[in-house]
Amino acid sequence: MRLPLAMPLSLRVPLLVAGLMVLMGIVASQLVLSALNRAQVRQLTDLAEIEFRALSTSLGPYVQRDDIWEMFDILDRATLREGSFRPISAALVDARGRVMVSSLPEAHPIGSNGAGLVEEAIRLDDIRFDAASERIAVRNTVVWQGRPLGQLVIDFDVQEFAAERRRALFSLLLGNAAAILILSVAGYALMRRVLAPVRRLTREMEQPGGTPQPIAEALIPARDAELAQLYHNYNGLILAVQARTATERRLAERERYVSLGRLAGGLAHEINNPLGGLLNTVDTIRTYPDRPDVVRDSAELLERGLKHLRDVSRTTLDMHRNDDGASPEKVQLALQDFDDLHLLIRPEIERKAQILDWRIEADGSCCKGLPAGSVRQIALNLLLNAAAVTGPGGKLGLRVKPDGDSLCLCVWDAGPGFSDSVKPRLLSDEPVEPGGGLGLRVVRDLVKSLGGTIDLGRSVHGQNEVRVRLPLRGRHV
Amino acid sequence: METPWLVSRRGILAAFTGLAAISAASGAKARAALRFGLTPVFLDNDWQLLERLSAHIEESTGLGIEYVQRRTYKEVVALLLLGEIDAAWLCGYPLLQYPNRLEAVAIPLWQGRPLYRSYLITADDRTVEDFAVLRGDVHAYSDPDSNSGHLVTVARLLELGERPEQFFARTFFTFGHRNVVRAVARRLARSGSVDGYVYDALAATEPELLARTRVVWRSEWHGFPPVVVGSEARGTRAEALLLRALFDITQTEAGREVLRMLQLDGFVPPQPDSFDSIARLMRLVSERG
Repeated sequence: MRLPLAMPLSLRVPLLVAGLMVLMGIVASQLVLSALNRAQVRQLTDLAEIEFRALSTSLGPYVQRDDIWEMFDILDRATLREGSFRPISAALVDARGRVMVSSLPEAHPIGSNGAGLVEEAIRLDDIRFDAASERIAVRNTVVWQGRPLGQLVIDFDVQEFAAERRRALFSLLLGNAAAILILSVAGYALMRRVLAPVRRLTREMEQPGGTPQPIAEALIPARDAELAQLYHNYNGLILAVQARTATERRLAERERYVSLGRLAGGLAHEINNPLGGLLNTVDTIRTYPDRPDVVRDSAELLERGLKHLRDVSRTTLDMHRNDDGASPEKVQLALQDFDDLHLLIRPEIERKAQILDWRIEADGSCCKGLPAGSVRQIALNLLLNAAAVTGPGGKLGLRVKPDGDSLCLCVWDAGPGFSDSVKPRLLSDEPVEPGGGLGLRVVRDLVKSLGGTIDLGRSVHGQNEVRVRLPLRGRHV
Repeated sequence: METPWLVSRRGILAAFTGLAAISAASGAKARAALRFGLTPVFLDNDWQLLERLSAHIEESTGLGIEYVQRRTYKEVVALLLLGEIDAAWLCGYPLLQYPNRLEAVAIPLWQGRPLYRSYLITADDRTVEDFAVLRGDVHAYSDPDSNSGHLVTVARLLELGERPEQFFARTFFTFGHRNVVRAVARRLARSGSVDGYVYDALAATEPELLARTRVVWRSEWHGFPPVVVGSEARGTRAEALLLRALFDITQTEAGREVLRMLQLDGFVPPQPDSFDSIARLMRLVSERG
């Protein structure tokens, strides 16, 4: 029998023990019953021999004298005796196979054919005992003074022997069943006890929603070296995972600052560019304070320049606030966010004299339900990466378009494409190898958290393209 | 089940012998004991009955009694003829075989008369309209020297023009009237010849045995089996005392108990023609061709 693998160990072991016990019980019972059978056959043979000897001696003279009544009386009295092994009936059959006398004359009248009686009976020296039978017919020759007088057939009552065998069988079954039950229950209890630390470990690992925690030192079984080692290994594993997570978090934080730093350079350039013009305008106002037209033009110029600076600073602040994780879910994505993104990325693009192809093909409703901060971070990281891998004067672009129930962000560039070492950062959950930035892994985490997918492909112009599909929650509902 | 008082004579004789042995061994009795012969053909063994009979005889006559049991009438008759025993309870048939040596001195009264008869019995589930139906049976007799248990049936067959030794397929002797009833009840024999007195007495003691048999023929009345003395004991004081004890059996408590157990009414002296009917049967048999 093959136990189902799904069965818990605490059940499998007791069941195996029970199975072995059953097997052992059957073998032991067979041995006991066969020994009992041999003993009973010996006993039966002894008792039958005594009976035949006694009856032959009593019958001999009467058979010789053909005294039917005395023969009958002897046989009849023998069958009236009490006892566990007594003749139920007896018949004497002569050499011609005719019944001389029987204790059951109605069934076997005097002179009737008794050959069948003799044939059906087993010889005294060859007694066999079938457990199912409650009587056995045995025959032997009556010899008197050296002369064979006929065949005496005695039907013995062996109910007691059969009952004894049944009792033995019953006792064996009962005993075995009790032993199996006790051992199974004990085995189950023992296995439960033995496996308790393993179950605790399993529970710790299966904690829903929570992070697995190391098991307290006090709970580690000190007496069981193997289990203690298992617990220590588990704790070591948990601590290693925690350390790795912390490292990744720190790296992500650093990456954010790195990207901010890169942005800050662009921003400084963005702010610095108009600043010269603005300062010149201030000088112009100082120089021509009495010329209202000049002052008005200069003021308008100043206003445009300052508005531009305000937009730049607001966009940066928004980015920063969202990056801080201040309920990004609360701020929904709008087309304005892509304008902001464009504003943010443009200095970096211009710094590298690259060409940015900016296509927003979605309307406002296409952005419904998507958190602004996360989407902006995704797009920004991908764009910064594209700008980094594309050489000076190279082309890159962003294309935002609705795609069924999703919003598709496609960032392409003229760069050489992702190397095999970089791809897993974007496409898998494998631990990040040290030495690289975490921008792409942040993209992956964010997309995953939004239930989206990332694919690599080719743009219509044949460039490498990263396609991010983000399901629109509002539309789903 | 209570031990039947009347079943076969064998047992009584056994008990008589046992008591005799005890008496002899004790040596306590100085008086000459009467030696009394019995067979189980007629009465079954019952030491209580014999003890009471002894008690009655001793009480009424002061005579000690010694019981001697043999299996067959022939053996008891032999003892009587040899003078080994003084008296015996025999059947009329063996008595008449030795008219010069044996003499009936007392006859029991059964149902007020010193008469009894023989029954031919068979299994209760068998329909027998005619004696001829019994042809080819295994037949049980009680004793070769029994009137009711052998002679009557043989004579009847002769009267019917049958040859007794050929009429039945097989015959055997049970040496006890009760055994004849047992043999028929157990179907060892298909029919049997039995003392009518013993058969009727069994109705009170072993009705279940009787229930498996039925009477198919009743003979004429014959003299009841008498108490017989041998010629050597004739006229002795012991004989006189025994007769007094028998005729006065209703005078003691033990004697009345004996009669109750035997379902008899008393003892009377025999009449000269008491056994004439048996003598007629004997002639019939002896004169057969």
